[in-house]
Amino acid sequence: MDQAQAIFFAFQVWCNIGAIIALVFLTIGIDRIDEDAQGAYVFRLLLIPGILLVWPLVLWRWFILETKRDVWKNRHQPPRHAHFWVAIIFAITIPAVIIIGLSVRQTWPTNFEPQKLSLLQEQSQ
Amino acid sequence: MSEKKAPFFVGYLGIPKALKGFLLKLSILIFAGFVAGAVLAGATQDDPGEAGFRFDYGRQTVTGVLETKPYPLLYVTEGNERIKAGHTMMLSGQGKTPIMANLSQLEGNEVKVSGIILKRGDLDMLQVAGGQRGIEDLSKQGTIPKSEPLGKWKLQGEICDGKCLAGAMNPGRGLAHKACANLCLLADIPPVFVSSNPIEGQEFLLVAGPDGGPFPRELYNYVGQFLELETDIERRGDLLVLKINPSKITVIK
Amino acid sequence: MSVKYIPVQWNNNKWKYNAVMLASVFAYLWLFIFVTPDLMSNEGRINGQVHNARAFGSCAFLMLSVILCIGPLARLDKRFLPLLYNRRHFGVITAFVAITHAGYILNWYFAFSPSNKYEALLFSNTSYGQLSGFPFEVFGIFALFCLVILAATSHDFWLKFLTPRIWKRIHYLIYAAYIAVVAHVSFGILQDQQNHTFTLIFIVVAGIVAILHLMAALHERKHGDPFPSISDDWVKVCETSEMQEGFAKIAQLTQKERVAVFLHEGKLSAISNACAHQNGPLGEGKIIRCLVTCPWHGFQYDVTNGSSPAPFTEKVPTYNLKLEGTSILVNRNANAPGTFVEPLPMETMGVAK
Repeated sequence: MDQAQAIFFAFQVWCNIGAIIALVFLTIGIDRIDEDAQGAYVFRLLLIPGILLVWPLVLWRWFILETKRDVWKNRHQPPRHAHFWVAIIFAITIPAVIIIGLSVRQTWPTNFEPQKLSLLQEQSQ
Repeated sequence: MSEKKAPFFVGYLGIPKALKGFLLKLSILIFAGFVAGAVLAGATQDDPGEAGFRFDYGRQTVTGVLETKPYPLLYVTEGNERIKAGHTMMLSGQGKTPIMANLSQLEGNEVKVSGIILKRGDLDMLQVAGGQRGIEDLSKQGTIPKSEPLGKWKLQGEICDGKCLAGAMNPGRGLAHKACANLCLLADIPPVFVSSNPIEGQEFLLVAGPDGGPFPRELYNYVGQFLELETDIERRGDLLVLKINPSKITVIK
Repeated sequence: MSVKYIPVQWNNNKWKYNAVMLASVFAYLWLFIFVTPDLMSNEGRINGQVHNARAFGSCAFLMLSVILCIGPLARLDKRFLPLLYNRRHFGVITAFVAITHAGYILNWYFAFSPSNKYEALLFSNTSYGQLSGFPFEVFGIFALFCLVILAATSHDFWLKFLTPRIWKRIHYLIYAAYIAVVAHVSFGILQDQQNHTFTLIFIVVAGIVAILHLMAALHERKHGDPFPSISDDWVKVCETSEMQEGFAKIAQLTQKERVAVFLHEGKLSAISNACAHQNGPLGEGKIIRCLVTCPWHGFQYDVTNGSSPAPFTEKVPTYNLKLEGTSILVNRNANAPGTFVEPLPMETMGVAK
């Protein structure tokens, strides 16, 4: 129970930090690193949940863009080569998980009759 | 190179003529798939069986002797139309909360208990009303009936929390319900063993720990699984109680 | 898009897409929740909360399965590409359906207790050492987090901000999420259900998802873009005879980098195969009204300089080309996005050595 409390507390702390970062990023940061965001405000509300969850990534990218470290080549090199093995592993794991799940499935012992092992009652009579 | 002549879809332009029929058929197929899925999956759920809170009976008030080990039990001395004298009634608090903090102080006393009945077949339980309305101490020492040992038995079945099983939740047993059952057990709700077939005419037995106390937390791993037990059984009033033996539990295939 | 961001961009096809999707989802939920209880001839009635949780949970599973089929189907047959176009809306709705499922579970099984329900969800079942009775809820929690992260980072802003490469990597989470959902179901409801209809539906649907991914992966391996051997800076892409007006030939330069060589008005130009928006395969698109058009979301580029027409500001890298006999060679060192490269007339092939 203590662990559950700790995990839940950590999650709340995580989201609270995210909320502060969302506030700063959406009011100051975003205009500095993306010209398309300048003058556009409503869409920023949609970004809040994402920032709450992945704020370290937001900070990192903000830093990269702010310090002009962004490498343009990276923007045109999608991770497609990983896809083959990801797809193969994915396709194998799905049936494997189902088979393991069904293999531990139990059947209700409809026909089992309770058995008396000791004759305690008879002895005491 | 027929691919090069294939229709080319651009989202913000119109749909190419050659694709219209295909996309229409696809849309109908997807819609039909969802419709069929809903009806097939929805209508073939297992029957949870007839069980539930008997609010239709109204609140029941009976008098009896309270025993708190392993779990709160009431040996009814003055019954009513629904709860007969001589019945051993399992008790639970509201929802997943214990009946009251220092219930054990009332051990062996005559009490007046008021609450709502939960019922599944022969299994019943009384959800005791909250606060003073629920349990009234009559400040009189009562007599707890002597328990009658029935010997050692080999059983197969499942350990559930007695409250959900008795109808607090439908369905109220099984592995998908295990976390809920554990949460109930933590709230001092009596665990119940469902036997594959009746023992001395009873399908449901109260589960006690090896020392006669509550069902130990280490054994919660077994909740919801189908088990084979070798265990001592005793009769308390009209309720069967099994004393679990941790070294004699096997998970059946 | 390089005009001001708006919350959601709409057009006719997106409305139609969402209409079909939402009609399917609403039909599913309505039938499951309101119609099927009367179709069952059960003695007891399943609690409304459990019934609803099952409706939303199974609906989310079905939606996620359809979403996952779109990618491989589009790779196997281009006619499915329109389904890819607005897949993100589908994903976001799926996240909401899954959240509703979780809400019913939390407010039923983990409510009525003095404990915090989120904590109760974590501590009630801790049988991590066994398969039967494993706390399958954690699979669901993991999948839900994945779905919410993907939905929450689905706005185009995130694509540009994170770069498509990182965005795509994050979106690989969908595979982990789906496996988690499969485990969630396999170690949850499948352990209990005595009627096997749902089990069967589940196996068939998950099986289709698995098989389509396998087929698409093998198809890609067999028919994927060629990977020419590279000895110096100049890489052979294809023969001039293979070029078709308005279309491209793609070659892989490295594992990550692909070039698309287009033939437009008899002249050759090369740009990056990866669209600036979501890294869609530009070389699988075609030239419409003098502009290379991405097959995924229709982003457009001038083939000579890799720049989107005003007011858009997307740019992709360009490449230098030369002809050797009838071979088209590309210089593997990309020019900065937006660099103009004089198109290379194909007629010179006769002149070139």
